Amino acid sequence: MQTTHLQLSPIWPSVRHLAENVWYLTRPSESQIGLMIHLKNQLSVDSEQLQYNSIWQDFLEVMGPIDGNNNSPLEQFSILPLIPMNIGDLYFSFTNSSLFMLLTLSLVLLLVHFVTKNGGGNLVPNAWQSLVELIYDFVLNLVNEQIGGLSGNVKQKFFPCILVTFLFLLFCNLQGMIPYSFTVTSHFLITLGLSFSIFIGITIVGFQRNGLHFLSFSLPAGVPLPLAPFLVLLELIPHCFRALSSGIRLFANMMAGHSSVKILSGSAWTMLCMNNLFYFIGDPGPLFIVLALTGPELGVAISQAHVSTILICIYLNDAINLH
Amino acid sequence: MLEGAKLIGAGAATIALAGAAVGIGNVFSSLIHSVARNPSLAKQLFGYAILGFALTEAIALFALMMAFLILFVF
Repeated sequence: MQTTHLQLSPIWPSVRHLAENVWYLTRPSESQIGLMIHLKNQLSVDSEQLQYNSIWQDFLEVMGPIDGNNNSPLEQFSILPLIPMNIGDLYFSFTNSSLFMLLTLSLVLLLVHFVTKNGGGNLVPNAWQSLVELIYDFVLNLVNEQIGGLSGNVKQKFFPCILVTFLFLLFCNLQGMIPYSFTVTSHFLITLGLSFSIFIGITIVGFQRNGLHFLSFSLPAGVPLPLAPFLVLLELIPHCFRALSSGIRLFANMMAGHSSVKILSGSAWTMLCMNNLFYFIGDPGPLFIVLALTGPELGVAISQAHVSTILICIYLNDAINLH
Repeated sequence: MLEGAKLIGAGAATIALAGAAVGIGNVFSSLIHSVARNPSLAKQLFGYAILGFALTEAIALFALMMAFLILFVF
């Protein structure tokens, strides 16, 4: 290992420089990519000895997406800039994540628009209109179940916000199930951004409705005074942890689901390629595996949107009605 | 060395699935108990059971996430 390192040492600085360039620039130039591929082919001859070299590992990692033979199940989550934009040190590129978020928003808006405004709003609904009505009814029932006033029948002031959150999550999750598309909710920046903003909003609503009485939220009634500091702490920590957990839950479900589909369809592909022995088993088997995986994934996509919405309703109810 | 330690760590992270298995089993056994006692509530209880299942499964996915973090991030 030492000898190879010495032999290759004149090349290493340039390799490292190239790797850093490609990593930090949004778009490496054609010649740089060509040079890197050439370098890699030259260097990988003695890759046996190179595999413990950390610069070589970094190089391979950088090369992966460019070379196109990266088999990592996490490759599907990579964010690629479509329209690169850098303002100073800030990174404002229009990425595939933003593209798919825009697509989700426009799908939701188009669906609702066509069903309610032009040529929609019929007394006897067609299929699209009844789909939207189904979703609307579903969320309305859910909100009515979870957020109850003292009289039980309250004006649901927050229903529109919850409906939009549900629709957004549902469409993001379902859109991610289309092969070669991008799952917006599989990035925890996005889900945590959503859950933290909702958490802050709920806290503001709690203070608005109850004033400083909202602070009694962290202390159950009838607690002996010596215990109070501990209980306040014990209530506050899980309360703040809610914001984190509801974001992480959605992200972990989406990421784990998609990567396990990728891993198992990879194995299905390997099975399909084993033509010699398993010719008859190998043909319908992989198809069945991929089909059988897609079903539960669709279920997870829908149920995670449902669960997130229910939890938002529960937290909102806690803030409004002070359990 | 580091590679091997990563693999061991990722394997150890999956031990957490035992707890999730107990949790999911508990959810559905309670569902069966309840439906056996009062079959007329089956539909409503199934909704609750699915909610509980999704919450429990999410905990299992935290472990999976840890395994991925160990394998691919460090």
